[in-house]
Amino acid sequence: MTPRETPLPMTVLSGFLGSGKTTLVNYLLRHNEGQKILVLVNDFGALPIDEDLIESQDGEILSLANGCACCSMGGDLFEAFDAALKFEPAPDQLLIEASGVAEPRRIANFARAEPDLQLNGIVTIVDAANMEDGLQDPRLLDVMKEQISSAHILLLNKCDLVSQVQKNRARNKLKDLNDEVKPIDINHGRVPPDIIFGKGKAADMTAIETKSQHNHGDIFDHWALKSQKLFEKHALWETVSSLPSTVLRFKGIFRSPDATTAWSIHKVGAHVDIARIEEPSFAEPYSEFVAIGLKEDKISEVLEAAFQKDQ
Amino acid sequence: MSGTTVFKAKKIITMNPVQPEATHVAIRDGRILAAGTEQELAGWGDHNLDTSFEDKILMPGFVEGHCHLMAGGIWQFTYVGYQDRIDPDGKHWPGVKSLEEVLERLKEAEAKLGPEEPLVAWGFDPIFLMARRLDKNDLDAVSSDRPIAVVHSNFHLMTVNSASLKLANYVADMGVDGIAIGEDGTPNGELQEMAAMFPIMRRLGINLRELGRSRSSIIDFGKVCNRVGVTTAADLINDLPDEDVAEMTSITSEDSYPIRLLSMLNALAQPVDETRDRALELAHHSTDKLRLGGVKIVTDGSIQGFTARIRWPGHFNGAPNGIWNILPDQLNELVSVLNDAGVQMHIHTNGDEAIEAALDALEIAKAKNNRPDLRHVLQHCQMADRAQFRKMNRLGVCANLFANHLYYFGDKHYELTIGPDRATRMDACQSALDFGVTFTIHSDAPVTPMAPLFTAWCAVNRQTESGRVLGEYEKITVDEALEAITLGAASTLQMDHEVGSVEVGKWADFAVLEDDPQKIAPESLKDVKVWGTVLAGEKFQTP
Repeated sequence: MTPRETPLPMTVLSGFLGSGKTTLVNYLLRHNEGQKILVLVNDFGALPIDEDLIESQDGEILSLANGCACCSMGGDLFEAFDAALKFEPAPDQLLIEASGVAEPRRIANFARAEPDLQLNGIVTIVDAANMEDGLQDPRLLDVMKEQISSAHILLLNKCDLVSQVQKNRARNKLKDLNDEVKPIDINHGRVPPDIIFGKGKAADMTAIETKSQHNHGDIFDHWALKSQKLFEKHALWETVSSLPSTVLRFKGIFRSPDATTAWSIHKVGAHVDIARIEEPSFAEPYSEFVAIGLKEDKISEVLEAAFQKDQ
Repeated sequence: MSGTTVFKAKKIITMNPVQPEATHVAIRDGRILAAGTEQELAGWGDHNLDTSFEDKILMPGFVEGHCHLMAGGIWQFTYVGYQDRIDPDGKHWPGVKSLEEVLERLKEAEAKLGPEEPLVAWGFDPIFLMARRLDKNDLDAVSSDRPIAVVHSNFHLMTVNSASLKLANYVADMGVDGIAIGEDGTPNGELQEMAAMFPIMRRLGINLRELGRSRSSIIDFGKVCNRVGVTTAADLINDLPDEDVAEMTSITSEDSYPIRLLSMLNALAQPVDETRDRALELAHHSTDKLRLGGVKIVTDGSIQGFTARIRWPGHFNGAPNGIWNILPDQLNELVSVLNDAGVQMHIHTNGDEAIEAALDALEIAKAKNNRPDLRHVLQHCQMADRAQFRKMNRLGVCANLFANHLYYFGDKHYELTIGPDRATRMDACQSALDFGVTFTIHSDAPVTPMAPLFTAWCAVNRQTESGRVLGEYEKITVDEALEAITLGAASTLQMDHEVGSVEVGKWADFAVLEDDPQKIAPESLKDVKVWGTVLAGEKFQTP
């Protein structure tokens, strides 16, 4: 076993059949922004990848022209994670497509326990049109509840197919099950990779862009802060933990008051991670943070206030 | 023309109602030519009379309908279970009855290891050693620098020492589910579920799936079977890649390999259509001693792990409902596709909600396309109620009941998991008989030890570890239990025309017993001694 130099960020994608996982995965693979994404299909259902993306197929592994790959992993999580960590070339992002029944929390726990993995979040996609049907089947109720309540990012898909009334009912239901996460309305699985993956590797935050990306700029807003300040770990944890759910993702790097140790911080949903950076790649003792939210929620104001008040 | 051999026995229990008992059996070309008295057999011409079994009892070779090849390979680790077990080479491992005995055994094993080898043990069961939990301090006393991992009997937990914890960087409370924290606020060495165990297993090279794949494991598995009179055994889940099929074919075709092996394809490891195509293709690779083509579908988890899907009113202790490994709607589709294609299904269902979902899926499939040529089997089927047995009868579905659970986990089911009402009707053999459901009973080895006569004892006595009788009504007779572990199991494997009874034309596969199970007291059935087996007329005395 060869340990990785930096942990592999892992995202769990959960949702029922027909909720739009396949479309979303294809969208993310098409907009990978230079990152090598390894998609593991934790399912016995096929995950059809758009043909024009595929460069070659070798057994269970599909290689894409842009450096991404997809791999079917059968039913055994041990084998799947073992294979992902051995995968050559080493991926930048691991995206696990959890089957309709897999408990996303259980899969996410692998990334929290394994030093060579880092949890990037649980993304749950629900179908605005048929979510209520699922919640009425007693055999499925607890599975669906688990998927929604464990999510750090909730995507309400197929919003173009339902009335405003239906959409509001779905949103209320989601809020009942998980009030820490604000659902994002999407159509056809289109969501910026930033939201799903965060921004690049945790320890590599030197190139922060704040410009809007692709055609998502109309609904999403980025916020960034670069500062010479030093931050006390626990105080920052408090500040970031109390950010409202309208801040969909928050991450950054900072130096603590002794100025010798550097840390990365990452928040998605209610999940906050602080990890020490062993060998910071940035020489100057500065800190920087970036966040993403919905434009309508004016996250910049919230964040400016939070960082002025506490620090 | 090849010769005819006649075995003379003290008694042959045939499982053939036309001729329940015989003293002689004639064998030609590995098959049973005739059974009866010496005079009755004389008409078949010259024969060699073999009297080596004249003071022994012959039965049809036992058929284990649900176990795993890992039952052989697991013995490369040190056994630290509570009950006595026998390893493939016949070494008797007394159960370790206290934490002190566990540590003593670990120290002995540790002393024999090379400098770089980790110490891995298996079979540990804290349910039986409740005085206190095993923790890292205990194991640190065995070795402070060699990594140690003690895998619990359910394979869902392990306890490790500080050297192992350090390897995975488990040195502080990281708030991760499954990494148990001790009073001092640091991990105490107990790791629960695969996510928390994975970093250790990966670093110590413990790969449970590999345990069932290697040549030595498959050979050891044959020894495990031979020791308990089993001549046909079903490995109840396997990914069956080509290279493994080639290896299994080569090993089983050797004359010295003592069993007929069936291996069921994992139906959830690839998309539905691929499962169907692969199962049909595998069926063509079957030989006399390796049978392929059936599939395994895992629907829920286990009752003792609180992961079975159970109906109202849920768990006795209020634990939340268990997990689906496949959603009911997807199960409906999978079952229909496989049934249409003529693929036999073994469907793992522990809880009654999972049983209901499987029966609904089979009902949909059979209403469309009855396929009376196929016998689908509910595996474990532990919580089925009588209405579900009636439905199995209507649909022609078989059951393989987990009788060993009554002994090993019965007390826990009564007190903790599902409560008295449902625990007393678990693994309901009498209900299966009442409604004419073809059934067998199994060990799920290595989850519980393989030994069909012990499994039969469980079904006859329904006695738990503490001595409680779990449901008087569901007890069956010794003869019914003996049929379940021979012809019953053969039927669930669609091999009842080849094995399972001593009848003309069937394979000359026998269990050779030192005692007569029909004469011994029913409560001593498990103590019947096994001499070994005969496979296709060849003797395999247990070494």
